[in-house]
Parts: sequence; structure tokens; C-alpha cells
Amino acid sequence: MDTNDRYGDQRRTGRSPGRFRLVAAAGAAALTLTAGLATPLNPAPEQARAADDGKKVLTVAVAQSVDSLSPFLAVRLLSTSIHRLTYEYLTNYDPKDNHVIPGLATKWESSPDKLTWTYTIRSNSKWSDGKQATAEDAAWTFNKMMTDEGAATANGSFVGNFEKVTAPSPTKLVIKLKKPQATMTALDVPIVPKHVWEKVDDFSKFNNDKDFPIVGNGPFILTDYKPDSYVRLKSNKDFWRGAPKFDELVFRYYKDQDAAVSALRKGEVSFVAGSPSLTPAQAASLKGEKNIHVNDAPGRRFYALATNPGAKAKNGEKMGDGHPSLLDQRVRNALFKAVDRKAIIDKVFQGHAVEGAGYIPPRFSQYFWKPSPDQELTYDPEEAARMLDQAGLKKNADGRRVGKDGKPVNYRVLCHATDPNDKAIGKYLQEWWGKLGIGVTLKCLDNVTDPWLAGEYDLAFDGWSVNPDPDFVLSIHTCAALPATPKDTGATDNFICDKKYDELYAEQLAEYDPTKRADIVKQMESRLYDLGYMNVMAYPNAVEAYRTDQIKSITTMPAKAGNIYGQDGYWSWWSAVPADSGDSSDDSSSAGVVIGIVAGVVVLAGLGVFLAMRRRATADDRE
Amino acid sequence: MTTTENGTTKQQAEQVPVAVRPRALAWRRRRASVARFWRQYRTHRAGLFGLGALLLFALLALTAPLLVGSDVDNVTDAPGGPLEEPSAEFPFGTDRFGRNLLGLVIWGARVSLLVGLLAAVLSVAIGTLIGVTAGHFKGWYATVMMRITDWFLVMPTLVLAIALATVMPRSLLTIIVAIGVTTWPTTARLVRAQTLAVETRPYIERARALGGGHWHIMSRHVLPNVMPLVLAQTTLIISAAILAEATLAFLGLSDPSVVSWGALLQDAREAGAVSSGHWWYLVPPGVAIAVVALAFTLCGRAVEQVLNPRLGVSR
Repeated sequence: MDTNDRYGDQRRTGRSPGRFRLVAAAGAAALTLTAGLATPLNPAPEQARAADDGKKVLTVAVAQSVDSLSPFLAVRLLSTSIHRLTYEYLTNYDPKDNHVIPGLATKWESSPDKLTWTYTIRSNSKWSDGKQATAEDAAWTFNKMMTDEGAATANGSFVGNFEKVTAPSPTKLVIKLKKPQATMTALDVPIVPKHVWEKVDDFSKFNNDKDFPIVGNGPFILTDYKPDSYVRLKSNKDFWRGAPKFDELVFRYYKDQDAAVSALRKGEVSFVAGSPSLTPAQAASLKGEKNIHVNDAPGRRFYALATNPGAKAKNGEKMGDGHPSLLDQRVRNALFKAVDRKAIIDKVFQGHAVEGAGYIPPRFSQYFWKPSPDQELTYDPEEAARMLDQAGLKKNADGRRVGKDGKPVNYRVLCHATDPNDKAIGKYLQEWWGKLGIGVTLKCLDNVTDPWLAGEYDLAFDGWSVNPDPDFVLSIHTCAALPATPKDTGATDNFICDKKYDELYAEQLAEYDPTKRADIVKQMESRLYDLGYMNVMAYPNAVEAYRTDQIKSITTMPAKAGNIYGQDGYWSWWSAVPADSGDSSDDSSSAGVVIGIVAGVVVLAGLGVFLAMRRRATADDRE
Repeated sequence: MTTTENGTTKQQAEQVPVAVRPRALAWRRRRASVARFWRQYRTHRAGLFGLGALLLFALLALTAPLLVGSDVDNVTDAPGGPLEEPSAEFPFGTDRFGRNLLGLVIWGARVSLLVGLLAAVLSVAIGTLIGVTAGHFKGWYATVMMRITDWFLVMPTLVLAIALATVMPRSLLTIIVAIGVTTWPTTARLVRAQTLAVETRPYIERARALGGGHWHIMSRHVLPNVMPLVLAQTTLIISAAILAEATLAFLGLSDPSVVSWGALLQDAREAGAVSSGHWWYLVPPGVAIAVVALAFTLCGRAVEQVLNPRLGVSR
């Protein structure tokens, strides 16, 4: 880069004697840093892009590590998105409005008692090694999950209710159920090729990351993967819905979000989603940029404050050490009444989120629920203080509330050290609850899983991405999801176990009528809200950005105000159209950079003068 | 070392004409050496600059409660909007919560300086203890101690500190301990070398012949002689400790609810200030860290040169 040359020049003229060399170097380093980080010193962003062989490559900046490339183990957003791209599912969701559309299955029907489901498998889908994808592959996938515990790790909840899965012909798949199950057209399970996977011994350990390219039948084929470095996929020219427009799709790792944004500015990547999203400051500065489009859409995530309900295992044994005062519903509700959701939206998310209400985000309008006015826990710190008084948490002489054990109440709040929003909201909680006389200790950890699974927390920042079918996010609060013994790991999110909620859950799962089912789901949300163990503070937006000189168009999901990264389906990357490599002179240079460079030059020049004078002075001294 | 020796010669010279009581004599001697030290220190211009900067920052840190008030880190009553540019009301702009950055930088000086000082004192205390005992007792004890020192010396300090800060609960004490127990080996080596040199001097033998025990020799004769070196070393380690604190806080290993310069940089990074061009979020804490670290280094070097004339040839 040309800054290096400038640095060299400065050094030659400056000739710093010993101990000042460091300062000079620091000044120069600051200059390089400003220039390098904050951007386009090399004005022509690389185009999308015809590498030498004319391949069109779409590069996406990601930060999340891949937990596993095996569809039987992967649960993280990036890994499951990759599986969407490389394997077909029986059904898919329409990108416009999330309704169920054909995937590997072209049509499906159920017997009158709704216990036998027959799927017709398409005959125009081929595995990338040339073999035909058949109903036999699907039957084998489901049977494996039903019989092998290791294969049920990620998606076991879908097959828990299956009695028998058979493939009477290559195009016909029959699933027999024990009880009716409403998620039969939303089985989010990647179908894998039997002839490849039947050679696997231990499904709980096999990560599918040794033999490339990985045999699949999705719109892309995984060709290469290096952990925390890149994931490379090439387009599947024979994909039945039509080949993707880009020849190659690369997920490249940028563990630092600032670096990812700079890479977008320079054109090294075409798309940045951020983890979990771009910060308000980054979004605002990218908005003014030429050739960059910022997509700010309602997200599919909720962001909640989970309260430890006195964690227990299925066998009734107590786990962890949640604060006993939180078992009182008045205390939980009082705490949430002292949380100013509006301030969180305005200050922390700076408008890039929607105020929290029910458990399921408003984007899924059929399941979205709002508390009634007399049920709603509105922001009211005075009322919260009264409720705490009633619950028996009286203030002592120092103004701190004391529990039944006579000790001042201090809650441990588990927070993700990697999520800036957790820390920011944690600061607010400390002040809001501090005014009530309740102490808060933020426990920000890189790995919150260990204390979380052990139930060693009082409150915790929590959040899930919700699928068009809400079954999964509802299932994680049932008693059935609790760990069997304190030593086991359950699917439970927050150790909630409520009889009424469980009854409603079973009822909705067996309800095939969409309106009636939605009604029951709303009742579940209402119950969850009243319990006060899952307090939804906000629904964060998906704030992401891409280069319009590299991507001409891309599908958002839902079509109106939808997100691009982490969709339920492969729509965004499959539909992305490369931009023509026209000329795009980039003369925009942000003021900050100019100021930074000027400041750097001034500092170095000043230092040069100072040193020159000093040299003279020391020379005089020596004489 | 050299000071006391000079002191002794002077004392002998003065003793002949007037008989003075030993305590008064000792005080006079100390005053004289302080005055001499200051005279020499004054000639180091860089040292004076460092001292001035330090006094300024110490004054700011001590008067921070009066200057900015303890509610400066309050997020709920933040006076401005998020990430406002520098203006007359907020000379350094505001942070992502809308807090006044000038106030935060001043407030952050308290933590950064406190952690720097305490960590350096801890580090030097460990180093001096091990150095003096190893130099005095020699034998297998010294061998064992020095091997432990070597082990710590070759361990990458920052990695060790990060590991310590990760396993211990997140608090200021953790950071102080993490820095303290990882930076002492250089001090131990230096002090041991000096102890060995001091112990060969005849008056130590004399003291031993007069019945001085281990404790007497170490505390009355060796320690005062290695003290100047220890002082210079402390000043130098403080700047390293402040940098280490900033590094650990920047990596998010400090208590998230405490305002320090490193934590401000971490905040700025999390807010995406680097890539969105909000330079005023980064520059003030960065410059403050650089200036204070530089000031301590300049002071340390100046003290070193005054105390050890061999270093001062170029001056």
C-alpha cells in the first residue's frame, strides 16, 4: 500500500535517535491504521468477478464457527444454512410469504385419520455423484434418526412421534405416526444420500468434513472447508429448480466485525451480515456509501431475559443455584416492569429493533401475540418497587433489598461476552434494578453454555431464531425437554416446566387446522408471558449490507422487508444475480479518513521538527 | 547503591569536626541525597516532561469526582445522543450510550492508573522478594527459584495473563493479579544480580562477623542498596502494567461495568466505531494510554540514569 512508502520517507528525513524511534513508529502506525482500516485508499473495489477463468464468485463475510458439517449434528445458523444449500428437504418455504411449497417432495397427502402421510418424491433431482435421489434416501435418513441416538442429536424432535417410515417405490415415501403431528409439512430435516452415509459408523462423531466435494443435491455443492477460514461451494448446474447465477459461493471468516465492514468497503467481500447484525453506527456509515445497499429488515429472532425457575431434572433432582426469591412470580414481574423496553430500542438498538411483547416475533403474523392492556407488564419502576415490597423483599438501612435469608439480594446475569448488546443492556439493568435496591453482577463469558446447562445463573440473556413453523421454539420450554438427570443435557432452553403449558403444547402439535393451532400457540405465549420466566425485550432487526456493483439483485425473505442471511431456505444465494463488471470509479473518501491521515502526517512532521531541534540541542550539549 | 556509598564517605568526613546524633545525621544525609538526586534529575528534560505529564494525570484522577462527578458512567441519564461528534458541550464527543467521553476519559484515568500502580507494586514486590532471597541464600534454594523465574520469563506474558484472567472471575483484582504474577521475573533477575554484587562488599562480611543474621543482612544492608534499582524498575513496570491493563480490557477480560481506557476502546470496537469512522471514540483513550505509558517510561529512564551513571554516557 502507498502508506508504506510515506512511512519510509518520514523515517529517512526524521532520523529518529534511539528512544524516539518508538514514538515515531507509533505515529506512523496510527497513520497506517487509520488509512488501512477506515478505507478506500485503493480506490477501485475489485469487481464481482471474473477471476482469470471468468468465474463469478459471491463472497460472504461470516464470523460464526461451523459446529459440524453433518446434518445430523449441526444446529448453528451458518451450518444449517449450508445444509439448506447443499441438501434438499422434503418441503421448502415460499420466499414471498413463508407458505409451504414443494422441495424434494412434489406433493403430499394424509390419510383421513391424519396418521399416515404419503409424499411423492421428485424424479428430477440427482446427487452430485450422478446417482438419482429417491424416496429410499429419505426413508433411510428418517429411519437412521429414529434408531440411532447419535443421528437424532440435531433434529430428533421431528421424528420422536414417527412409528414407521418406508419407501414402497423410488418416488413414494410413507410415514406412519403414533399421534397426529402438525409439523408434517414442515419437516426441516436435510435428506442425505444413503449410498454415502450408510458407511458411517458413529453418527455422534462423524462431522462430514473429510471427503470433498460432499455429495449433495441442493443448489450448491460444498467443495472445500477450512475451519474458521472459509467454506467454499460451487453451483450445482443440474439443480432441478435451475442453476444459481453465481458460479461459486464462499463464506469467508472475519472474526472482527470492523474488519468485515472494511472488507465490504474495499470490495473484498460482497455481503456482510454481522454477528448478530451490523451495529447502528456501521449501518449509518454504510448507508451513505456508493455501491453499497444496507438491508434493514424485521428479524426472525427474539431477544429475551430468561429467569432461572429453580432448575430441576426430569427425575426431580434440583440443579444449579438459582436465587430462591425469583421463584416468586411477583418478583419476576416486578423486575421486568423496571426494564424500559423503549429505552433499549432507542438507545441500544437505535431503532433497529421492535419492542418486545409475545414470544414469537411479529414477522410471523399468524402466531404473533400481544398481551392485553391489563395483562401487560408496562414500564413502571414505582409499581415494581411496591410489588417487591409485597413479595417480602424489604429494603435495609443501606437501601438494599434483603432476601428471606437476610442477605442483600444480588442477581447474577449471564451474558455473552461476544454480543455487545448483552453488555450494553446489562449496564442498563444494573442501573434500573440498582434504583430498586437490587444488585446485579454481570457474568460475561465467551462460553455461557457450562453455567447455563448446570443451572448456575439467576437471569440470562437469551434469544432464538424462529422458524415459520414455531414448533421447535415452543418445544424447548416443555417438561419433556428437561435433562433426564442433572448429569444429562436436555433440549430445554431455560428449565421451564409448567403443566398448563405442556397441555397446550400437546394440543397444538395435534391440531391440523392452522387457525385453531395458531390460537393455541397464542395461548401458550400468553401463559409464558404471565409466568415471567421468558421476558422478551425486543425483536432485533436483521441489519446487513451488500455491494450493488457485485450483486445486482438478491431475494429477501419474506419478499417485503425480509432478511437475506440465515433464511429458511436457499433463496438469497440461489437467486443472487451478479452485476455486470462495469466501471465504478470510487471517489468517495470519508471525511474521517482524510482527517486521520492529515493528523498522522502532522504528528509525524511535528515530531520530525522536534527531533531535528533536539539533535541540535544534544550536539550543543556535547560540546 | 552508589548513593549510600557516597553518603558513607561524606558522613565520615563530617563526623570528625562535630559530634552529631546518629538519627539526625541519617536524616541530614537523606536530605542531601534527595537534593542531589533532584539536581541530577532536573538535567533530564525528557524526565521532567514525563514527571509533568504524570502529575497532571494524577491530579486529574484524584480530582475526578469533583471535575466530572461519579455519575459520569451512568447510562440511564446519559446527557447526549449516541455517538455525537465533538462539540462545545462534549469536547470529545459522546460514546454509544450518549455519555460524555471527556468525562469518561478522566474517570477512566482512575482505574487505569490504580491498576497500573497496584499491579506494578505487586510485580516488583514478588520480584524483589525472590531476587534478594535467591541472591542471599544461593545454593539449591537459589537454583530452584531461578529456574522458576526462568520458566516465567520464557512464558509469553500476555498469553499467561489472558489465561489467568479467563479462569478467574472478571474483576479489577483479577486483572491486577494477572499482570502482577506474570511480569515479575525481570525484576527478580535484576535484583538478584545486584544482591550478589552487594554481598561481595567488605562491609557485609564485617556485618556478618559482628553477628548479623540473614534477616539483618538482607533488610539492613542488601535491601537499601537494591532499593534505587527497584524504584527505577517499578516506574518502568507501571507503564507496562497500564498497557497490559488496557490490552486485557480491550480483549474484554476486565469487569465490564468498570470504566477504564482499555474498556473504552473495547466499547468503541463493539460499537463498530473503527469501520464507521467515529474516530473521536477511539483517539482520546488511545492517546491517554500512550501518553501515560510514555510518561512513566521517560521518568523511569531518567531515574535509572541518575542512579546509574554508567548508563548516562550519552548525556
